[in-house]
Amino acid sequence: MSSSNGLTCFTNCLLPLEDGSLVEKDLWIDERRGVLLDSQKTFFERKERPARIIDLQGNILSPGFLDIQINGAYGFDFSVFEGANTYRKGLNTVAEKIVETGVTSLVPTLITQEKSLYPTILPLLRPFTHPHGATILGWHAEGPFLQLAKRGAHAPVFLKSASSGFASFEDMYGAANLAYAEDWLMDDGGLAAGVRIVTAAPEIEGVMDAVKPLVERGVVFSIGHSIATTDIAAAAVRRGARLITHLFNAMPQLHHRDPSIIGLLGASPHVALPTTPTPSPAYAPAERPTRDFAKPQSEAFDEHETPPQTPVLAATHGAGRVHGMHLERGKVAEGPFERPFYELIVDGIHSHPNSVRLAYNAYPEGCILITDAMKILDPHLKDGVHEWRDGKRFVKEGVKLYLEGTDTLAGSVVTLDTCVRNFSSFTGCSLGEAIKCATLNPAKCLGIENRKGTLRPGADADLVVLDRKGNVLSTWVSGKEVWKKA
Amino acid sequence: MRLIIRDDPTAVGDYIAKYIAKRINDFKPTAEKPFVLGLPTGSSPIPTYKALIKFVQDGKLSFKNVVTFNMDEYVGLPEDHSESYHTFMFREFFSHVDIDPNNVNILDGNAPDLISECKKYEEKIKSFGGIELFLGGIGEDGHIAFNEPGSSLASRTRIKTLAYDTILANARFFNNDIEAVPRMALTIGVGTVLDSREVVVVVTGQRKSLALSKAIEEGVNHLWTLSALQTHPWALIVVDEDATAELHVKTVKYFKSIERVQEEVEQRHAKLKAQGLPEGDEQIGSME
Repeated sequence: MSSSNGLTCFTNCLLPLEDGSLVEKDLWIDERRGVLLDSQKTFFERKERPARIIDLQGNILSPGFLDIQINGAYGFDFSVFEGANTYRKGLNTVAEKIVETGVTSLVPTLITQEKSLYPTILPLLRPFTHPHGATILGWHAEGPFLQLAKRGAHAPVFLKSASSGFASFEDMYGAANLAYAEDWLMDDGGLAAGVRIVTAAPEIEGVMDAVKPLVERGVVFSIGHSIATTDIAAAAVRRGARLITHLFNAMPQLHHRDPSIIGLLGASPHVALPTTPTPSPAYAPAERPTRDFAKPQSEAFDEHETPPQTPVLAATHGAGRVHGMHLERGKVAEGPFERPFYELIVDGIHSHPNSVRLAYNAYPEGCILITDAMKILDPHLKDGVHEWRDGKRFVKEGVKLYLEGTDTLAGSVVTLDTCVRNFSSFTGCSLGEAIKCATLNPAKCLGIENRKGTLRPGADADLVVLDRKGNVLSTWVSGKEVWKKA
Repeated sequence: MRLIIRDDPTAVGDYIAKYIAKRINDFKPTAEKPFVLGLPTGSSPIPTYKALIKFVQDGKLSFKNVVTFNMDEYVGLPEDHSESYHTFMFREFFSHVDIDPNNVNILDGNAPDLISECKKYEEKIKSFGGIELFLGGIGEDGHIAFNEPGSSLASRTRIKTLAYDTILANARFFNNDIEAVPRMALTIGVGTVLDSREVVVVVTGQRKSLALSKAIEEGVNHLWTLSALQTHPWALIVVDEDATAELHVKTVKYFKSIERVQEEVEQRHAKLKAQGLPEGDEQIGSME
């Protein structure tokens, strides 16, 4: 069913606004162009009104969710290459199926690879608007410039330092893949630029020098798998890093004397930081662990096996300066820099609900929900024992996934809509505020908030209808319904 | 002139909406012969709009063949400004009913030639054969549309400088910044209102009670422009109890008694109509 004049009005619904509130309001879309309309302009200037009216019966009409860190789903692993056609097919399967979880845009994430795989896989992850599935926004390369001590599931043999700075990144990912944003256009007139995220540890040799050139090319630099001290982490942010990869996981725990990466959420106006960070410690490739990396591992739970612990690098004291005092209650003096966005895996396992609430209360505007899901993510998969690979089997218990016969967690299998609901109950925030963390916040982090994760006029009509408890009822991509709850 | 008194603004809105719905439905408008309706902005008509929207949603009323003319619009305020009357009408009414955007007329306060814009508006009203029913509200100073105190009672659509009272009253919609309130508006004239075949005015709240008293208990006076309605053959004012605060008890009682008689007259007339009225025996004024 479609509208005779191509315009559709959603009525009797709650719209999440950008301040996190939910208001009763109609939304008009142009289903032919697949965009949201300024309804008043359409009425007075185009002299048109929607021929089709959809009554949403008081449910919530949200922008589609964005997942900016996802390793795979529905049996396809973004980091496994078995031929370009197989890869494209797998990508399509994920795009088509993931809409049932409310996700309409995703940034496939590659974990640390053998060098030769990057030039093969990255071009396959150029932005792609699927006609009836989620949009692939670009790629997220998690590694290989990571801290060995916080490597998580990343294969240590492939971890690298970036001794030539930005050139090392170009050498690894391919210069073409790091070209200026304008050169990296979306094929079908979609997003102006593809999205590229690089997760790296700023304390690794050469990484700090690469932050600026990466950012200049439109890459989102994300701090992760790192033992950066407060000073190093802050220096990276000053150079343009604007994201923290799966906060709390694969980084030093919050130490009050040197709060390290997590402490960025509380960046104090009082602290003046040295303009030159502490020299990067030399990368020590000799320190080879003995674990068998063919086994699936969870990044969050093996930190006890990866000493040294917090904090490894002594924090240097900046020349403290007294910040200008003010007398206005409620006003907060400006911090030393804009605090970075941070990703949270809200499955109740990777971060305790208390930690989730702590982070959100510290800096609500920066919060981004991610799944960080493994290829076995599939909400239809029943609990019990399942075959995996190499004759290994795993046991699924709700969102927990163990290797059979062990208590080793095999990664995240939580869906993003579940994360949104969890987030609301963990933090006590409203559903509208939780939705914001899966829509506007990630879109802002990627700089695409005029097109995705928003209900602004002109944005893509990627929408998800949720009941008032946050369950997905239907999903729309480019103004067309692509999934509906049976 | 008739005065209808109801308990509160909601009851006032329900009464007027029912009245207008009946008028439109009895008119049996078609694309060739649309019902021409004049519309106001402001807080007073909101309950009426809400009730009309409900009728449309319930399928009891349609605006498909209704042409509307709004009373006024600020000069120089962008059309999509949150306080423009375009925005108000779209938000409170047009977006919720089945009206054709081509049938909606609102003065363009950003037209390069404001004088010609006003002239064209009058001509357009005439081209539809005049306004069948004009719904209006009033200001605390008794103005109808933006016909501020002192306006000519024969005035037509024109540019109007806002009274200082009105600017002060509207400042609350512009962050209490007097400087941000537009100084001018385009408005239909008192004469334009009087030319409509029927005028219905909504007056609610104690703050409007003095204006109501001035308009109906004293003479026709250009300092209380609503009083011009006294010269109109078919005018209806619907008020809530609060708005009657400044009226004489005698006045209130008189109008209440008219309402009862009116009901009897209407019932009798409806019976006659059912039997078939002689040609040309259509209502041309209110029955008092």
